[in-house]
Amino acid sequence: MDIGIIIAAFLTLCIFSFLYRDNPFYKFAEHLLVGVSVGYVLVIALNTTVMPKLISPVFRDGRFDYIIPGILGVFMLLRFFPKYAWLSRISIALIIGAGAGVAIPATIQAKIFAQMQATMLNFASVDGIIVFVGIATTLAYFFFSKEHKGWFGKTARAGTWFLMIFFGATSGYTVMSRISLLIGRMQFLLGDFLHVIK
Amino acid sequence: MSRQLIFVLIALSVAIPLVIKIGLPNEVTSEVMQVYEEIDRLGPGSVVLVSFDHEASSLPEVKPMAQAILRHCFAKRLKVIGLALLAEGTAIGEQILRETADEYEAEYGRDYVFLGFRPQFQAAILGMGEDIRRVFPEDYSNTPLIRLPIMRKVRDYRDIALIISVTDGDMPVWWVDYAVSRYHKGLAVAATAVMATSFYPFLSSGQMIGLLGGLKGAAEYEMLIEKPGMGQKGMDAQSVCHLVIILLVIAGNVGYFMRK
Repeated sequence: MDIGIIIAAFLTLCIFSFLYRDNPFYKFAEHLLVGVSVGYVLVIALNTTVMPKLISPVFRDGRFDYIIPGILGVFMLLRFFPKYAWLSRISIALIIGAGAGVAIPATIQAKIFAQMQATMLNFASVDGIIVFVGIATTLAYFFFSKEHKGWFGKTARAGTWFLMIFFGATSGYTVMSRISLLIGRMQFLLGDFLHVIK
Repeated sequence: MSRQLIFVLIALSVAIPLVIKIGLPNEVTSEVMQVYEEIDRLGPGSVVLVSFDHEASSLPEVKPMAQAILRHCFAKRLKVIGLALLAEGTAIGEQILRETADEYEAEYGRDYVFLGFRPQFQAAILGMGEDIRRVFPEDYSNTPLIRLPIMRKVRDYRDIALIISVTDGDMPVWWVDYAVSRYHKGLAVAATAVMATSFYPFLSSGQMIGLLGGLKGAAEYEMLIEKPGMGQKGMDAQSVCHLVIILLVIAGNVGYFMRK
């Protein structure tokens, strides 16, 4: 049997052992996962970002303008040194400024205008009416400048029902997702490791 | 009832249907059908961009969905460009793409390519709208894109027929923000079940053309392409386990009210 499969099966059982109680095998597997994940991401970042976007352009292609973002990157790391930590604010300001500039128009268009357009009252379909009622009543529930009494209170109450349906659907999907992960591990243990299933 | 007994019940409800096939029925939902129809109507040679926006922990859900969609793409002789916007999806995405391409004898560089990972996904998604080669000058194995036949005619989103985000997070929302809204590209999503409800507003607004939700989505897609895979194999276990959980919830509530 492939040594990789044996190691993977052992680590899977180590993690499952937590279901009985916390133990050194579980801790070992958990720490190994964290360490390997961080190491992997670090190597990927070096190979796909630092090397092709900084080292190669500067030293191979003579693009010395790339040194400027390189220096801004180093400024971010200076947060670990209290005396020079203030320099990281320059990089953070650039990231926040550019990020907000890029994100705000896109978010308004995609998440507000397009969503509002799709929510406009459409009497031609039952779905459209349900969506409109759901949005209106849910927004009423989150409107806190008027006391939730009388007709407004009833509208807000209806909004909570739509919220509950959403929470129920999300909860069901979450259960499905977690069970899928268990099925994946069981398929591995019963198939690749024990060869009980094909 | 002790916690350990519940764990044993859940484990058995998953393991037994995997060993003994039951063959419970499974219906294809409209959101999965929409993805299938969108890919199916593309002509041979059309370019599809598949982004592996996930981490390793969601592999049991993500892999069956990605495999089913890629099998459909390669069977239709579509060109596939793979990439990753999360670091952990890089090696996994490359492996799934390569294995599936091998099943259909697709040739690397001509029929498919894997571009690797780029950080700062907003910049990457926006940048590909201007020039893919500026964001990814080289592929995953450091071959300049200009040398790959598949990339010679692909410059930006205008040359791509469909974007597919295989995800375990909210990355499709960023694709909607930057690729769909700004460049008007069609986006299909294959998301883990836990994320699926977050995307239904985008589905009903038409900002996403279809959605595969977890293992069930994979099983439905496998039914459509008539190629059973990990999705369909796991659906009996999924259904039986859900039944056991429902019974446990009912039993818990009955016990609670009887004690009151």
